[in-house]
Amino acid sequence: MAENPHIQRKMHRTAFACVGIVVGMVGLAYASVPLYDLFCKVTGFGGIPVAVDSNGSQVMDRTISVRFDSNVAPGLNWRFSPETPEVKVKLGETTTVLYKVTNKGDKPSTGIATYNVQPDLAGTYFSKLECFCFTEQTLQPGETLESAVVFYVDPRLAEDRDVKDLSSITLSYTYFPSKGGKPVAEVTSSTTPIAQ
Amino acid sequence: MAHAADAAHADHHDHLPSFWRRWFYSTNHKDIGTLYMIFGFTAGIVGGLLSIGMRLELQEPGLQFFSNPQAFNVFVTGHGLIMVFFMVMPTLIGGFGNWFIPLMIGAPDMAFPRMNNISFWLTVSAFALMLCSLFVEGAPGSLGFGGGWTVYPPLSTVGHPGPALDFGIFALHLAGAASILGAINFITTILNMRAPGMTLHKMPLFAWSMLVTAFLLLLSLPVLAGAITMLLTDRNFGTTFFDPSGGGDPVLYQHLFWFFGHPEVYIMILPAFGIVSHIISTFSKKPIFGYLGMAYAMVAIGVVGFVVWAHHMYTVGLSLQTQAYFVFATMVIAVPTGVKIFSWIATMWGGSIRFTAAMQWAVGFVFLFTVGGVTGVVLANAPVDRYMHDTYYVVAHFHYVLSLGAVFVIFAGMYYWFPKITGYVMPEWIGKLHFWVAFIGSNILFFPMHFLGLSGMPRRYADYPDAFAGWNMVSSIGAYIFFAGLFIFMFGVVYAFIRKEKAAANPWGEGATTLEWTLSSPPPYHQFETLPRVIDTHH
Amino acid sequence: MAQAGRRYSHARAFPDAFMALGHHIFRSFGTPMRIETGRRSVTALSTAAVALVLGISEAWAAAGQPSPWETGMQEMVTELGQNVSDFHTYLTWLMAAICLFVLALLLVIVARFNESKNPVPSKTTHNTLLEVAWTIVPVLILVVIAIPSFRLLREQLVPPQADLVVKVTGYSWYWGYEYPADQGGGFKFDSNMVTEDSARKPDQPRLLGADNAMVVPVGKVVRVQVTSADVMHSFTVPSFYFKVDAIPGRLNEVWFKAEKEGVYYGQCSELCGNGHPYMPIEVRVVSEQQYAAWLAEAKQRYASTDDSPAPTKFATAQ
Repeated sequence: MAENPHIQRKMHRTAFACVGIVVGMVGLAYASVPLYDLFCKVTGFGGIPVAVDSNGSQVMDRTISVRFDSNVAPGLNWRFSPETPEVKVKLGETTTVLYKVTNKGDKPSTGIATYNVQPDLAGTYFSKLECFCFTEQTLQPGETLESAVVFYVDPRLAEDRDVKDLSSITLSYTYFPSKGGKPVAEVTSSTTPIAQ
Repeated sequence: MAHAADAAHADHHDHLPSFWRRWFYSTNHKDIGTLYMIFGFTAGIVGGLLSIGMRLELQEPGLQFFSNPQAFNVFVTGHGLIMVFFMVMPTLIGGFGNWFIPLMIGAPDMAFPRMNNISFWLTVSAFALMLCSLFVEGAPGSLGFGGGWTVYPPLSTVGHPGPALDFGIFALHLAGAASILGAINFITTILNMRAPGMTLHKMPLFAWSMLVTAFLLLLSLPVLAGAITMLLTDRNFGTTFFDPSGGGDPVLYQHLFWFFGHPEVYIMILPAFGIVSHIISTFSKKPIFGYLGMAYAMVAIGVVGFVVWAHHMYTVGLSLQTQAYFVFATMVIAVPTGVKIFSWIATMWGGSIRFTAAMQWAVGFVFLFTVGGVTGVVLANAPVDRYMHDTYYVVAHFHYVLSLGAVFVIFAGMYYWFPKITGYVMPEWIGKLHFWVAFIGSNILFFPMHFLGLSGMPRRYADYPDAFAGWNMVSSIGAYIFFAGLFIFMFGVVYAFIRKEKAAANPWGEGATTLEWTLSSPPPYHQFETLPRVIDTHH
Repeated sequence: MAQAGRRYSHARAFPDAFMALGHHIFRSFGTPMRIETGRRSVTALSTAAVALVLGISEAWAAAGQPSPWETGMQEMVTELGQNVSDFHTYLTWLMAAICLFVLALLLVIVARFNESKNPVPSKTTHNTLLEVAWTIVPVLILVVIAIPSFRLLREQLVPPQADLVVKVTGYSWYWGYEYPADQGGGFKFDSNMVTEDSARKPDQPRLLGADNAMVVPVGKVVRVQVTSADVMHSFTVPSFYFKVDAIPGRLNEVWFKAEKEGVYYGQCSELCGNGHPYMPIEVRVVSEQQYAAWLAEAKQRYASTDDSPAPTKFATAQ
């Protein structure tokens, strides 16, 4: 093959195009991380509440109940609960709910919260104005903190044929211990072996 | 030609490279193809033994052979990864692809012979790393990685802090790099080195299938590489791509994995489609029915294969619209697949069929692939899949399309091209006996798994409620029969080499029309020094 | 986790598993294998074989658990499940018909178009009508599948108003159930597999029985909210039809309305490590009165465990 420089050139061009595809796909794989995040936040995909700056919607007469769920991942000795398990809100009405979190341990510890909304379909309509997520929170032993979630349920929910009859939405928060950038292997080195 | 034939027979003597140079520094596409086949077969034995270990354990309820379920999970994971990355892919793509793509398109060799050599040895190194991972700590206090071939976090991060998975990830990196290099080689070869007169629309279907496969590799493997690299940094360097405690999402890993994983199943089956087309056409003594439809059906399968990935994730909590879309897209794949099945049948229809060993395997494939295909349509429906997800029904489905699909074609191809590759004739009865043993064994092995799945038996269980005992026993017996068939194949190969009955250039007669049958058996060490000119084709 | 590990594994680690494997393979030639559960399974097998011969395997089919030699889905006790089961039956017939059609064509080919019967092959390579037909017909078949499929999907994923919410948390390797206070509960408890044969109730099969079952009233819409505290698990009860992944940091939701009292079993369906086969789900569907009685009793028994942190059987960051 090497004899014909024309074919040689063509082959190199093909090969480089292929390498370009590979590099592009690796790039896309990494780009998918922020893009997926952004996509979820903008569209409410996967039950991620939509973040908004202000509530510009009309308050409607139809009510819906909003449940509040809280979890603390193992490894964080915190008590974490909403002040009320459920509230009834009117569509479009801005509501504030407090979550209370207490460090029950005897050492200061740092946690970080994630959240989602169920059913997924409601994620698009659950708009939060203010919340305590993805920011690290350090609590001293015995310290209690109240965090506010300010939200409203978008009245357009009543026009969506999939969810217009929905009676209840659940907002769930989970506090994880902050790893502080430590690798998994180090953090879990204290794990008990499977077989003794 | 006569000179070339001599040369091929003088392999181990004079003017060819020395044994070491020929097989270890090899840049000859046929030698590399042979190496890939030997490698794939060896890995297949290892993977097969792992599955025999699993079937021994599952033969009866309770734990008999494994000290704990984790060890069983390690076998399950090893079986999956080895069969996918080190058995099916190397044999179909590395083995048959390297051997027959240049021969079929009338090229003297692959475009980048040295890169070809690198690909092979990278695959071997990857396999070595994979085997190492079985013997280092994974989950605390046990050896090997037992999180399934999908390597889902957080089980693959917090669940397996030991280095076993790091070895596994590096193995996949190397195997992936090897496959990407191989894909570049195939694309370059097929696009630029076809014999004069062979347009893309006159190209043999196996070359078409390898072209589509190579593009799938190129587009999907980098995503896997990216995903497992993120996993690696999550594990070792404190990143939180998939870790919710840093704002990551384990579900994102599944999206990335299946964006690779679904095209991967087509990567395994498309070359098989190509090979089956040639076998059926050869022994029916008829050209392929609907050639263009066949070629573009493969392209369509490849393209649609990239937009259906989340049908593996119906239970993670996807929204209604998302699930509905993936149900729809997935079912669309059934259409080009149906075109292929019916075109094969139409090719045979009206033919004058010689039921050689290779043909029996190919016909067996067409039927069993249909069975695997229709259960795929059942599983595509999210409402039903939610019941079947992660049960043995899924295991039955993908073994029907891969074990009874891709593996049957590997053997079909072996019996079809054995005379071309080795220059010796293998008696037909060996391949036929092997076929019937494998056909019966594999159906006894996999068909009852549908029942197990329907009655609710989850996958990856070392121990199960006693009600599942009956079908599991049947299934295990099938596994031993299927495995025993391998010895018939090994016997056949040894027997043919002992018997040394020389094969003609074209042992299959008028139906064998592709270019490799115009060369001696085995082909000369360097073929097509003057390029063949394709003036007329059968289409 | 330490407990769980000790309970289910013997004192051997993985390399020994290899050796044990070899050992057993060698021993299995000639000498009978030592199998812990041999007696039980042989009995089950022979009984099942008899049942099969007599055609009374249905007699075995208790709802809520698998039965020997079963070839179909478990009996469904929810309307959703029944619909899915019917849809699956419909699909199975359709798919069987397609397979038989292909098989019939292949048999005709074997009989008519072999070398001896048909020495001269035809040269047909195109038939536009045929090619269009085998594209259009599958499309039509898919349409008749897709329509009921989408309807069922909507039925499943658009939840009705719930009468009761139960929160389920997957741990390695057991389940935790929480009945929220505003749902008449206000307690939570863990549900572990019953390991001792003697401790199992008569209606609890091996590997399926749990020490503390989830209890729900019959005929009520129950919303199950599922999450995980460590790795992923999957919460499923085949007879109710649902299956939903338990994912850390994410709450998932399914609903069901059981229409028949009884005990229903499921097993973790997402690979989660060593104890994966050992974290069964046991749901007891009872009458409303029994449920009320159970609630009162459970409030005593699982009295406010609110303050104790989730037990870390599977140790993550400590």
